[in-house]
Amino acid sequence: RRGLGVAAGPPSTRQLREAEEAAPVFQYAGKAAKRKDRVFVWGFSYSGALGVPSFVRPDADWKKPRRIQPTPYRLETEDKISSAACGYGFTLLASNTRDITKVWGMGLNKDSQLGFQRSRRDQTKGYEYVLEPSPIPLPLEKPQQTRVLQVSCGRAHSLVLTDNEGVFTMGNNSYGQCGRKVVEDEIYSGSHLIHQLKEFDSRVVQVVCGQDHSLFRTKKGTVYACGWGADGQTGLGHYNITSVPTKLHGDIAGVNIIQVSSYGDCCLAVSDEGDVFGWGNSEYLQLASVTETTQVNIPRHLPFKIGKVKEAACGGTGNVVLTEEGNVFVWGYGILGKGPNLIETAVPEMIPPSLFGWSDFSPDTRVAHVRCGLSQFAALTNKGELFVWGKNLRGCLGTGRKEDQYFPWRVTVPGEVVDVACGVDHMVSMVRSF
Amino acid sequence: LNAAPGRGPRQRVRFLRAPAPGGGGAVELVAARVPVLADHPLVRGPRFRKLKIGAGHRLDVKASGVFVLGIGHGNKLLTDLYNCHLTKVYTVGGLFGKATDDFSDSGNLVEKTTFDHITREKFERILAVIQGTNQKALLMYSNIDMKTQEAYELAVKGLIRPMGKSPPVITAVRCLQFALPEFQLEIHCLHETQQYLRKMVHEIGLELKSSAVCTQVRRIRDGVFTVDDALPRTQWNLQSIQEAIRNCQLKVETELEKTL
Repeated sequence: RRGLGVAAGPPSTRQLREAEEAAPVFQYAGKAAKRKDRVFVWGFSYSGALGVPSFVRPDADWKKPRRIQPTPYRLETEDKISSAACGYGFTLLASNTRDITKVWGMGLNKDSQLGFQRSRRDQTKGYEYVLEPSPIPLPLEKPQQTRVLQVSCGRAHSLVLTDNEGVFTMGNNSYGQCGRKVVEDEIYSGSHLIHQLKEFDSRVVQVVCGQDHSLFRTKKGTVYACGWGADGQTGLGHYNITSVPTKLHGDIAGVNIIQVSSYGDCCLAVSDEGDVFGWGNSEYLQLASVTETTQVNIPRHLPFKIGKVKEAACGGTGNVVLTEEGNVFVWGYGILGKGPNLIETAVPEMIPPSLFGWSDFSPDTRVAHVRCGLSQFAALTNKGELFVWGKNLRGCLGTGRKEDQYFPWRVTVPGEVVDVACGVDHMVSMVRSF
Repeated sequence: LNAAPGRGPRQRVRFLRAPAPGGGGAVELVAARVPVLADHPLVRGPRFRKLKIGAGHRLDVKASGVFVLGIGHGNKLLTDLYNCHLTKVYTVGGLFGKATDDFSDSGNLVEKTTFDHITREKFERILAVIQGTNQKALLMYSNIDMKTQEAYELAVKGLIRPMGKSPPVITAVRCLQFALPEFQLEIHCLHETQQYLRKMVHEIGLELKSSAVCTQVRRIRDGVFTVDDALPRTQWNLQSIQEAIRNCQLKVETELEKTL
């Protein structure tokens, strides 16, 4: 209460405290606030693989086309994306929803690797470049019950894995990589054909695309392959094309394989006991630890003494594995991640964990997953951080710099990175907000 | 200081006249050690009239902790220590639920928010992100060419840090205590100001979709000097200061040799 003749003066402590207690309290997030799932993309955008049409065709006069997106850019999607895969200039996003639209594709579509995308200008032709995520119509028998588990992309073909309707393949089939008979002079552009593969010894749980071949891993632990075999990447004992998925033998016969990986012409498989098996191209010393030949057409056990292996990833010229203890080992050729001096090695070399954020302050930081692009590597830690290294082709590393990265470098993503898919010149990551 | 016995007067050899042993008026020159008159205390006056005291890294009014001072010739060591760019460690206390204009709890209130949705997990996640982005800044401002093998070697050992001017960089953050609404962090940083740390507390609050103010900033380590070496107010006397200087001399020398 202030008298009329008394000056105002600065508020006393008691007045301040009362004002503070009377101030309204704002609530920005409730107790049950959910973390949102987001998709971030970066890399070369002119192929449309990033799914942002304004980078290629600006929607306002003052905007300029963006050839390269050097840092992670958020891609707005209506549905929660559970799986993503990057091919050579195109991307597939899949959600494990029960809705009719489960898979979206963007990027190059010259071989119908994204299915048939009807052009609006000419209803009979399809788009050759798809600039934003467009639904891919899959010929499902029960579209409202089947779920898409995983997608994978190769050079010009893609594979979609469902939970009870087998594997759907689309795209280029000149080497039989889609699992159907090669038709001479087939025109792949604007094709409606999506092939379904169901004849395996048990349910398929993982599909992997190499450059021009496909690998299928079943629940029983067997591996099937089809496609080009000139480098032995089909692992079937010959160097010919295979157009029907055929079971692999060699050193993996009878072994329960828990993960397969491939992106170029070399393939790696990990068994449940932690052993690594490889086949395919070995021109870059990927399999030089067991053989001098540069093409290995039958799976061979790689006797590395690095501990039990949990996950493996194959790139174009280099390979990386993750052991149960959380250590990362690299071998092959190219920028392997141990500085500019290590260019090639046939025996796996460990990357020190301090480069992945391990320190005395956070001794429980470990690498949880490893992924490979054609000449890049990516590692995800259990704290949700993404580290990349390798050749920075058209900004695909996402570091914001143009130079190649010779040792693991953090990518700043506003959120916890859950998964990442690496392609030739772009990458896609699935991130959870804080 | 002036009362303490200083150096004794310098001695000089002079040839003094002394009566010759023979007797009579003959005088001969005898060499003798004589104190120099210029060193006599009445001529020289008090040894110390002014003392040059320099301060190390700044510590503002609302913060507390280790404050390094250099006396006389020690000021030169201060510049050398500054060029070493060693990290400083602070304990920062914060309070959720309030936002003020100068980010501390004595400022004018801007907003009050709820904070019951904050868990220790979310908090540590934010701290991990802060550490991650600052790690990148560490490598970027250190002006080392990333393409060389020695950059890789230093990065493995964790020894890369900016050796020149750079914006504030945080090398490590750790949560010491977390009891809603209060929390306490231990922050290792370079080239920072205390107001920057308070702003960081405010930004942590914003990131967690609430607000926070900083209640306490205390420096517990400045390069080689820790709280154990520091003298509390009761020990601000000549004896302890001299002892402290003697104890720290060795540490400072080894650190300077290692870095420069």
